[in-house]
Amino acid sequence: MRYSDAVLKRVRELKRVGSLEGEHVGTGEVGTLDDGTVMRIQVRRDGDRITEARFKVFGCSAAIASASLVAEWLEGATMDEARALTPERIVQTLDLAPERAHVARLAVDAARKAVADGGRPKAEGGMNDSDH
Amino acid sequence: MIYLDHHATTPVDARVLETMLPFFTEKFGNAASRQHRWGWDASDAVEQARKQIAALIGAGSKDIVFTSGATEANNLAIKGLARATEGTERADVRRDHIVTIATEHQAVLDPIGRLHRQGWRVTVVPVESDGLVDVKLLDDAITERTLLVSVMTANNEIGVLQPIRAIADAAHAKGALLHTDAVQAIGKVPFDVGALDVDFASISAHKVYGPKGVGALYVRRRRDIKIAAEIDGGGHERGMRSGTLNVPGIVGFGRAADIAREEMPAESKRVAALRDRLLERLKAATDGLSVNGAMPPRLPGNLNVSFAGIDGEALLVSLDDIAVSSGAACTQAEPSHVLTALGLPKERALASLRFGIGRSTTVEDVDYAAEKISSVVARLRQMSPV
Repeated sequence: MRYSDAVLKRVRELKRVGSLEGEHVGTGEVGTLDDGTVMRIQVRRDGDRITEARFKVFGCSAAIASASLVAEWLEGATMDEARALTPERIVQTLDLAPERAHVARLAVDAARKAVADGGRPKAEGGMNDSDH
Repeated sequence: MIYLDHHATTPVDARVLETMLPFFTEKFGNAASRQHRWGWDASDAVEQARKQIAALIGAGSKDIVFTSGATEANNLAIKGLARATEGTERADVRRDHIVTIATEHQAVLDPIGRLHRQGWRVTVVPVESDGLVDVKLLDDAITERTLLVSVMTANNEIGVLQPIRAIADAAHAKGALLHTDAVQAIGKVPFDVGALDVDFASISAHKVYGPKGVGALYVRRRRDIKIAAEIDGGGHERGMRSGTLNVPGIVGFGRAADIAREEMPAESKRVAALRDRLLERLKAATDGLSVNGAMPPRLPGNLNVSFAGIDGEALLVSLDDIAVSSGAACTQAEPSHVLTALGLPKERALASLRFGIGRSTTVEDVDYAAEKISSVVARLRQMSPV
């Protein structure tokens, strides 16, 4: 399977990998080991804006690249901008093959969950709030 | 960039290329031209190569039928024998049954699958968790109606060496013939058609530092062994495979066989030591590593390992300067049928790497690969949320 340069670059030069702790952190976790992909995206919110985003992934390179791209987009975005993310935009930006498009949907689902979770006034339970 | 994928293919050895070159230009003759010097030279060169290839596998030169590669050789042996036997008897019995094993290459499974769809009965015998077939189980599958047993000598993914001689004895005891896909074995481990008592063997040049596009089928010369041609035409190769011979390719195959035969004793030791070093270094640096397949018996240059807790495809993609191959793909993909046949769970089969160490591999290559892989595995595990 050949990959676009956009995917390869993101997998080989990882940015925003990790976890967030503390207040105003929202967590979105999607996927199962059985399906082969587990993705977690976390955002730190300051008012209406996301100041930090981090991700962790168990899965293939397309999943890693999708989560990395979403984390990059989320940082600095407003809540409305974050909710407007679409899988199509990820597929287009990373030039994902159609059979890999499902990982873009997972990344968007994780982002939406993280944003919804971070919308609460206090989110120290966020880390354990994931949907398995 | 480090090439550790010698089961897929090998580079043409410089000595092989040098031998081949004149046969593209000044010695361009057709080996079937009987009336002039160009034809005689080409024909002499082909017969010389036939001897060299036969010597590598302990055959007589008249037992060698040149083909376009091992896939064609497998098709010719399996379908050619089936077609030549259909409607007749072998050892006084009507035979309509073929036996093979679950870890065969697609180039064996697919022709047998086609025969199955055309009405042949087929038994695919499973392998043990170490990738070896239990000869007793195989023996039970062979009946008096079995025409052919086809079992590979060395597996292309996990490198395990099947007990071919014992399988030949089991087949012959019931009047069946034995074909072996020996493409990964020749030039790497001793392979002698006489000692192993095989009736057909498929081999290829490009796995032994020869050119792509040329291979051969060993066919035991005996009155009761006949195969029907898959390609009809000028009656080349004693009527078993028509078509103008690929003279430069065949000459290259001959030289490659000669070199392999001379260098195998020392080279297989060197390659095995590199393989063992790679495994030791990986084990020392990485937890949760498991070897897939028996070791021994295994090809000296083969290593196949799984890493717990990571996705094999992500690992492969992260190894930007090491060429290896993987049983992996993205989610929803099916893992390798070979690793699945060993009973590996899907996630372990998907998180596997196959290393093929070869003639150009150095200690530095192996050390670099071990270090790089260990660091990528650690990074991927760190990245995992589970």
